[in-house]
Amino acid sequence: MALLELNELTRRFGGLVAVDHVSMQVEEGEVRAVIGPNGAGKSTLFNLITGVLKPSRGSISFAGEDIAGLSAPRICRRGIARTFQLTALFSQMTARENARLAAQAREPRRWQFYGGSSVFSAAGRRADMALARLGLSAVADRPAGLLSHGDQRLLEVAMALSQAPRLLLLDEPTQGLSVEETGQAVEVLSGLLAAGNMSVLLVEHDMEVVFRLAQRITVLHRGAVIADGPPDEVRQDAGVQTAYLGGFA
Amino acid sequence: MTLLTEALILGLFAMSLDLMVGYTRLVSFGHAAAYGFGAYACGWLLLHTSLPMLATIPIAALLAGVIAVGVAWVCTQATGVSFSMLTLALAQLLYAVAYKWTSVTGGSDGLAGIPRRPGPFGLDIFITRNGFYYLVLLVLSGAFLFCRALVRSPFGAVLGGIRENEAKTLALGYNTRAYKIAVVALSYALGAFAGALYAPFAGFANTELLFWLLSGQVLIMVIIGGAGTLIGPMIGAAFFLTVEHLLSNYTEAWALFFGLIFIAFVILAPEGIWGLIRARFRRRTAVELDHRRGVAGAQ
Amino acid sequence: MDLTAFLVVESLNALSQAALLFFLGVGLTLIFGIMRIVNFAHGTFYMLGAFIGYSALRLSGSFWLALVLAPLAVGIVGALFELGILRRLYRRDESAFLMVTFGLALVLTEVIRLGWGPEALQVEPPSAFRSIVFVFDEPFPTYRLFLAGAGLLVALAIWQFLERTRLGLLIRATSQNAEMVHALGTDVRLVRSAVFGIGCGLAGMGGVLAAPLVTASIGMAAEMIIDAFVIVIIGGMGSFPGSLLGALLVAFVQVFGEYYLPDLALAFMYLVMLLVLVVRPGGLLGKEA
Repeated sequence: MALLELNELTRRFGGLVAVDHVSMQVEEGEVRAVIGPNGAGKSTLFNLITGVLKPSRGSISFAGEDIAGLSAPRICRRGIARTFQLTALFSQMTARENARLAAQAREPRRWQFYGGSSVFSAAGRRADMALARLGLSAVADRPAGLLSHGDQRLLEVAMALSQAPRLLLLDEPTQGLSVEETGQAVEVLSGLLAAGNMSVLLVEHDMEVVFRLAQRITVLHRGAVIADGPPDEVRQDAGVQTAYLGGFA
Repeated sequence: MTLLTEALILGLFAMSLDLMVGYTRLVSFGHAAAYGFGAYACGWLLLHTSLPMLATIPIAALLAGVIAVGVAWVCTQATGVSFSMLTLALAQLLYAVAYKWTSVTGGSDGLAGIPRRPGPFGLDIFITRNGFYYLVLLVLSGAFLFCRALVRSPFGAVLGGIRENEAKTLALGYNTRAYKIAVVALSYALGAFAGALYAPFAGFANTELLFWLLSGQVLIMVIIGGAGTLIGPMIGAAFFLTVEHLLSNYTEAWALFFGLIFIAFVILAPEGIWGLIRARFRRRTAVELDHRRGVAGAQ
Repeated sequence: MDLTAFLVVESLNALSQAALLFFLGVGLTLIFGIMRIVNFAHGTFYMLGAFIGYSALRLSGSFWLALVLAPLAVGIVGALFELGILRRLYRRDESAFLMVTFGLALVLTEVIRLGWGPEALQVEPPSAFRSIVFVFDEPFPTYRLFLAGAGLLVALAIWQFLERTRLGLLIRATSQNAEMVHALGTDVRLVRSAVFGIGCGLAGMGGVLAAPLVTASIGMAAEMIIDAFVIVIIGGMGSFPGSLLGALLVAFVQVFGEYYLPDLALAFMYLVMLLVLVVRPGGLLGKEA
């Protein structure tokens, strides 16, 4: 049984079909990339999976349970964590505090209104581990708003990681990064993904990043899946090449 | 001594608002509703029952807290400006009710002759002027310790997340609405506690205590004193009373100057008096000062 | 009074009330549409208009002159405030705007109190509209008819202004995409100052027009700011037609509510605002706040 299963998932906005009968399965431990030209429906797909949007039609099941229609916080608590395309951090808090708040969401007594040292140390441990895995330990005490853009993108990933998710959704992690920063981010991410058996769904525009990180690629075009398979296969696919018009050789 | 007592009561009132404004960035223009409700509830109980003062004060606060859960639920349906306007609207509603429900509230005259009833068991050390001062001091200290523990707790950390980026906090899996309702209810309950202390202190309760002008004044106390610091609002309350008493002897226009000072603080020193003091004493770097300014809502 | 007469008379009342509310609401919504801020001092500008109108009338003896001078003066005060103070806050979050405009409301209220005293002041309606007409045998002040007419006239004028003039076009464009307007070469800051001034001026005009009816008093502002906000919420933040719709809705609810459920009219209005906020946060006709 696949970890994440989308079945004929559809989302309309008035007359526009943003996601068109998408069916796909992400296995446990798989690193799957979702690519497609602008407007292909990738962000909408993420928003549907994380509960920000409700599907017009179709189903989403996670670990065997139907999650379509649940609220975003509920879905998050089930074990899906995501990063955002536009960096969303708590800029006045330190990097560690950011990650700790993310980790705290998983603690049973996260709402405790007095004391809390045990909650904080447990969350802090998870936060520090996540920061270390993303190579951010050196800047842990710096306010997040003052980190370099590259580090901020990595901090977002660290926050998602702090929640020990079963499925990690990365929304354009290298968005807005320079060539150099992208290279560094890819190094860190590939190390991260190679080490554990993380299940990852990755949306990316940068093809080099996709081919470095992904085990399997799903291609969207105008909301529908036009190809789905290992990187080499997708590379050769005629339909994909047409849709992308000179994207990759 | 009475001036000091009044400063402490206002300090409690301002500190209660800081939980909402400074720590969660929920700007309320209707906090007088809490104060006035607490005063009327306590005053009514002291006038119409034989309960001692030491009982009516917490009862009034508790009652306010329970009702505030409903109020909070309503107001948090909206965010941003709409939230603020809802708090104002509900406070105006309470004002109108108090004005018209003459049989219970005494209309525009309010409740007068509110006694400081001793008890239980004949305990009367708090009845005198000095004694009452110590009562208020005790309550304020307790409330301060409680609030400080709250903002340093996991619950407080989530409030900070909501303040900085509510959407992200929601995305992390927190039910932000529930946290907001909790902090608003708590804030109103503490504000009502202050009002409940005021009624036996002054001996009366009237519609002025529910008017939007008071809501504005307490908000100003929080901002000028330093939002998000708990101590700052208490300083702001003391500052307000001082200015009111000093300037009103010299000029009719003291409220005008106060408004101008407020505007100046919002623009130039959003971290407030306490924020400025802390910066001076710890000689923070410019970077960290900007970091702190974020707490008060700048940039 | 039979039912038809009652409905007609009260509707006329509501229309005149709607006109006043419209003056207040349209400025607030325009300001929000351009600047994404809510001017908490809007009710105070309305009040300022009433008091300046009173003085202009005392000095010149002409209501019509007051009707021109007061909005102009209020508009200038507003524009100066935007230039001097609001401009510094555009990079801050919205709570800073709320508090600064609140501070302005306090300061202006005090200025009025010091300048004109705490008592309510009587303002005479213009001689042309002091009489009474009979509607279905019920006496009805012509001034109210004048108000309704003035409201309609100004609504039409604003509509044409937004549709046909260059500044109107700039205003509409800026409210949709300020960056684009800036990129195309217009100084968006000037548009903002102009809109804030115009919005305040409209509020001031509302105040002058209201004065003969409600007298100029210090308490005016607090009630009106909530009313203005309710209108803008119901009609939609930033929507000009929405402010018209909102004004009509609120006026009718107030007038008929006052008759049938006098004590509950206030609560009912807040209930409507709440419902709209819950069901359609963008208002009935507007864009998302």
